[in-house]
Amino acid sequence: MQSYILRRLLLMIPTLLGITVVVFSVMAAAPGGISAQSLIEGQNLEPAAKRAMEEYYNRRYGLNQPAPVQYLLWLNNISPLGFELNQDNELVDFGFKGSDLGTSFLYGRSVSELLAERVPITVLLNLLSIPIIYLISITIGVYAATHRGKMFDTGTGITMMALWSVPTMLAGVLLIGFFASEQYWRWFPTGGLSERSAQDMPFLPHWSDWGDIAVLFALMAAGVVLFSQLSLRLARRPRVVLMAIIGAALAYWMAVSVAGGFGIGGTVLMMLTLAGVGSAIGVTDFQGLRTFLMGFTGVVVATVLAFGVMQGEFVRGFLFDRLWHLALPLLCLTYTGFAFLAKLTRSSVLENLQADYARTARAKGVGESDVLWQHVFRNSLIPLITVSASLIPSLLAGSVIVESIFSIDGMGKLAVEAVQGRDREMVLSITLISGLLTLVSYILADVLYALVDPRVSYD
Amino acid sequence: MLLKVEQLSTHLNTRAKRVKAVEDVSFEIDRGETFCLVGESGSGKSITALSIMQLLPADICSHPSGRILFDHRHDDGRIESVDILQQSESSLQTIRGARIAMIFQEPMTSLNPVFTIGEQITEALQLHRPETSLREARERAIDALRQVQIPSPELKVDEFPHRLSGGQRQRAMIAMAMACEPDLLIADEPTTALDVTVQAEILRLMKELQTKTGAGILLITHDFGVVAQMADRLAVMQHGRIVESGPASQLIRQPQHPYTQKLLASLPENLPKADRKSSKSAKVVVEVQNLEVHFPVKKGLFRRTVDHVRAVDGVDLTVKAGQILALVGESGCGKTTLGRAILRLTEPTGGKVMFEGTDITAMQRRHMQSFRRSMQVVFQDPLSSLNPRLTIATALIEPMQAHGIGADKDERIARAEQLLQQVQLTADSLWRYPHQFSGGQRQRIGIARALSVDPTFIVCDEVTSALDVSVQAEILQLLLELRDERDLALLFITHNIGVVEYLSDEMAVMLDGRIVERGKTADVISSPQADYTKKLLAAVPRVKF
Amino acid sequence: MADSIDPSQGFARRVLRDTFARTSARIGLAWITLLLLFAVFAPFLANSHPLLISQGGQLSSPLLAHLSPGDVALLGAFLLGVGLAFVSKLSWIKRIALYVIAVLAISITANLFITPPKLTIYEQYREAQKIERYDWVIRAPIPYSPRDYQRDEGDTGLEQPLAAEQRRHWMGTEANGADLFSRMIHASRIALGIGFVATGIAMFIGVIIGGLMGYFSGWVDMVGMRLVEIFEAVPTLFLLLTFVAFFGRSLYIMMVIIGITSWSGYARYIRAEFLRLRQQEYVQAAIACGLPLRSILFRHMLPNGIAPILVAASFGVASAILAEAVLSFLGLGLVDEPSWGQMLNQAVQSSSFYWWMAFFPGGAIFFTVFAYNLMGEALRDAIDPHTHNGG
Repeated sequence: MQSYILRRLLLMIPTLLGITVVVFSVMAAAPGGISAQSLIEGQNLEPAAKRAMEEYYNRRYGLNQPAPVQYLLWLNNISPLGFELNQDNELVDFGFKGSDLGTSFLYGRSVSELLAERVPITVLLNLLSIPIIYLISITIGVYAATHRGKMFDTGTGITMMALWSVPTMLAGVLLIGFFASEQYWRWFPTGGLSERSAQDMPFLPHWSDWGDIAVLFALMAAGVVLFSQLSLRLARRPRVVLMAIIGAALAYWMAVSVAGGFGIGGTVLMMLTLAGVGSAIGVTDFQGLRTFLMGFTGVVVATVLAFGVMQGEFVRGFLFDRLWHLALPLLCLTYTGFAFLAKLTRSSVLENLQADYARTARAKGVGESDVLWQHVFRNSLIPLITVSASLIPSLLAGSVIVESIFSIDGMGKLAVEAVQGRDREMVLSITLISGLLTLVSYILADVLYALVDPRVSYD
Repeated sequence: MLLKVEQLSTHLNTRAKRVKAVEDVSFEIDRGETFCLVGESGSGKSITALSIMQLLPADICSHPSGRILFDHRHDDGRIESVDILQQSESSLQTIRGARIAMIFQEPMTSLNPVFTIGEQITEALQLHRPETSLREARERAIDALRQVQIPSPELKVDEFPHRLSGGQRQRAMIAMAMACEPDLLIADEPTTALDVTVQAEILRLMKELQTKTGAGILLITHDFGVVAQMADRLAVMQHGRIVESGPASQLIRQPQHPYTQKLLASLPENLPKADRKSSKSAKVVVEVQNLEVHFPVKKGLFRRTVDHVRAVDGVDLTVKAGQILALVGESGCGKTTLGRAILRLTEPTGGKVMFEGTDITAMQRRHMQSFRRSMQVVFQDPLSSLNPRLTIATALIEPMQAHGIGADKDERIARAEQLLQQVQLTADSLWRYPHQFSGGQRQRIGIARALSVDPTFIVCDEVTSALDVSVQAEILQLLLELRDERDLALLFITHNIGVVEYLSDEMAVMLDGRIVERGKTADVISSPQADYTKKLLAAVPRVKF
Repeated sequence: MADSIDPSQGFARRVLRDTFARTSARIGLAWITLLLLFAVFAPFLANSHPLLISQGGQLSSPLLAHLSPGDVALLGAFLLGVGLAFVSKLSWIKRIALYVIAVLAISITANLFITPPKLTIYEQYREAQKIERYDWVIRAPIPYSPRDYQRDEGDTGLEQPLAAEQRRHWMGTEANGADLFSRMIHASRIALGIGFVATGIAMFIGVIIGGLMGYFSGWVDMVGMRLVEIFEAVPTLFLLLTFVAFFGRSLYIMMVIIGITSWSGYARYIRAEFLRLRQQEYVQAAIACGLPLRSILFRHMLPNGIAPILVAASFGVASAILAEAVLSFLGLGLVDEPSWGQMLNQAVQSSSFYWWMAFFPGGAIFFTVFAYNLMGEALRDAIDPHTHNGG
């Protein structure tokens, strides 16, 4: 296994080089290419100043050299083993040196600095997305597979397909437009990762009055308990009616709180829609999911009531503020992921439920739920792991859009700016980083695959 | 009486149609007795077994009539006769694995690949004997493995299924089934996927366990040789019904029902041996000298070749015109690779292949073209032997076109019709697609395709191994007819000794890439010289009359 | 054991029939057909130039006079395609070849002979109507061209649907005053065009490279796999951004670029299929028969391996349309041509939400992608034998 990992890591290098060659050739082959002139064209400078700038750029980045030489120069800069540059920008000394990703044309700062700022944010977004995606898709997929053909299965099948087809930008725009704008419900912030004032806030939320905390938690507990019990105790029809009423009430409150109002037609439509969603939650036989969702509704209702009742001051706290800002971007980033994975989980579990070894387990007298969770589940995870390798690149692509829409200063947004501004160093470095991340995720997925499936050995 | 099935019917309802898989089936099994259900594929025998265990998916299976009475031994020793069809799921779970156990045909897929066999055995133990501690359960698992004669059981207990051989996996399945000492063992074609020597050992093992524990065995099979070796009583099934049943020795010696008679008559050992016309010329068609096919094994960081898999390791063979040479061996001996190497479908890495006097071992592709016409192949799997996208007509005409046979399309179509008639298919089959034919019919089409270019030599690679015994008999007789008419040389690759006896003039026994014995079939069968041949012949289950 | 006693049905016809037996696939097909009709007949559906004017007894058709060569070529190609679909005498290969040649001929003749007037003044018709210069006028159902910025009505900006009294904008207007419905109809051309052409290019490259890798193995395979890995490892979007930003924004370049960045998936599929098919017995038999290589590849292997490619292509068209939309959304798309993504971009500006700019173009993108996904799913279920039996 170790030799396999080593081999893969070594093979990564030519692939990475290949990627950078491709990107570099695209940039070099473009009309206008990368030359000092195109960089200073727009600026209003005197001819002498212009020439000085040109000199400077040419020297610094070797922009007056032919493309292959430029590429080699860049390669030399980033590798830890190469030639040093002295004062006059000539090559001397061959040996170990620091790797220098260069300086961004656009920002004037070092690329490594910029990346160090921005990459962690993108990584944070993606790392948070992955468990959410897997949790939701496994829950839905397993239940749909074990209740094949029933309402939950067909319902979620269509919903997932539709969700998957909604382009990320549309979802982002709709979410911001409705839930983060002046005109409709300003429940979420429009963008960024945190408010300015949040820097000064304490980490945790903070209430000034102890009584308020007590009231809040008491109400929340009551809400959860009440609604979970309702979910478990009530028969189907009363459940559906209850949830439909709550949905309609919520819709009504939302409709009237909008500045211009929605008009009768719009209000009725909204009430019907939310009543429908509510009844869908109430009608399903999937007890676990339903109780969870209804309990969640209980918490929401309780919190709304509590905030209405509380008198003291409430300070959001840095943690909560961050989460509040991340909620919409995360939603945007994850929904395509779990739509796709839910379908995959479903088909994988279905296939394994019909497998020969499942039949043997049943023949031994193993109960159906144990057959599912002890035998089938682990085998069904195998294709999920294989797919996870391609999840990271698609998440990276998704973050480009999400970061642009929500104005989050991450690597994706940086990439768009770099490309628009023809910032050569930045473009190459980002390519390198995202390529590296992608290839590493492939290797990780393969290793995980070998760990989960004992039949796979890489010798 | 341990199990009594009374007028059982099982219907399968898929979206498209309703299939009456089992109709009005009744039989009894006593303690300590082995009962065989025999039939060809689609006869309903497996469905019957699954019905007894109630393992069919509830949403598609229904039992319109019948009872399955079982003497259920409760934990306190009391025996109660219950109707399995009326039991609740939780009650059935106490029966399955503990009182009735089942083993299946394919041991590779029937074991969970992500658990060790020890874990899978202890699962059964802990399920039905919850008072057993983990350590105790593991000890009993090792003991169970020892009982089924797996070597070094204390090591194998922690192995994953894919690291065991086919025979060992089936033993592990038996160990898992017998771990809780069931009263009835249902075995669904347990040895069909195994080599004949392994099969003999597994059957012997099952008999020993039965004697020791007094369990009843319901054995499902299509092989009368197995029946003759194992059964006390048997029932023959056709189209979901039992056509005949009774004590084994009596039924085999004097079958009453025409279907049973036909089945027994189709066994290769019972087929009438036609008079062999002596071949018109004793010309050597294919000669193989010291043929080697070695595959490199690459390991390590730089994929260096560390070893070779010696699939074919120095083989000499001769096949004459009008002669059928049978190449016998168990799985992995290299016989298929040898056949392919002779046809240059796999490249030989050493030695020589001579066809009608010319050395074709390393011949260039374009020179091979004329030789390709004379050497053809028929494969084993009727499902994948024909291109599903092409009509039969295209499949037959294309080779003719490639070799310039027939002046124009009409003439080729006429030839194709003739070929179909020779393999006993109607001429309008030309315009159909492969999925519209049965397995046996597809094999006939495959033979017709091989004949379409008038070859002198045909390699038949396990051509009847996937067919029912009655269909197999027809195909074998067809091959003999064709051989006589056209003076063909056939290399018949198989693992079935009965077929070898019936069909071939000469035989060669292969083991680990080498030929260990060769000679006239009658001689080798009556007085084998090599140890392996003796072992092989002794393992073949015979239907004694 | 014969499966079914159908009369002889080729695999392709059976799969098509099974695919479109499902309602979901039919809905998808209906939508795409609607879009296709929109795309082909766009100049007749939404145009500021009236179809027929009678002015002082004289008939004239500004609409027909202002048709561009592209419009005519598209019309011709469509009618030809419909016509050829019903001529069943020729085999489908011959029909495709004939079609391609005919379309090229039409395009060339159109470009040579059709020259619309260079200067178009949209306002003249409305002004003329105001002063009642015409006897009668027959207009297109949506009397606005995509580039008609309605300067005669003053500085309109984003307007809600049906906001103004005299003029009817069923979907509102966008930032520069043009009617949204008209732009949406014309944008369907770009969407469908990019979808088909880009996917076609990607399939072509992918099948060739993947087929070579699968059949020959050895060093061809190694080199091919490195290429595939490279194109897979760069996030497609990013490569697209780079390409488009540095190469400028022409429709054809975008089609080619989207095609070039997405071929790796098809290559992997075909390679896997070919590796599997090489071991199939009918392929081995074909080799043993001495059939020529060309026949083995194209008659025996390719038709049997094409199925997953077609499924992937269906999803691929959807993602190509999405890719173009994303690029336009990020401001890197086509400049003047109407595009759904670019319209979506205008939905949120300075914290104001213009809902019609999100719903209509966004909805169009959603429905189109959904339609292709539905058809792809139905196709996959029809091909896969497991789900065929339902159990």
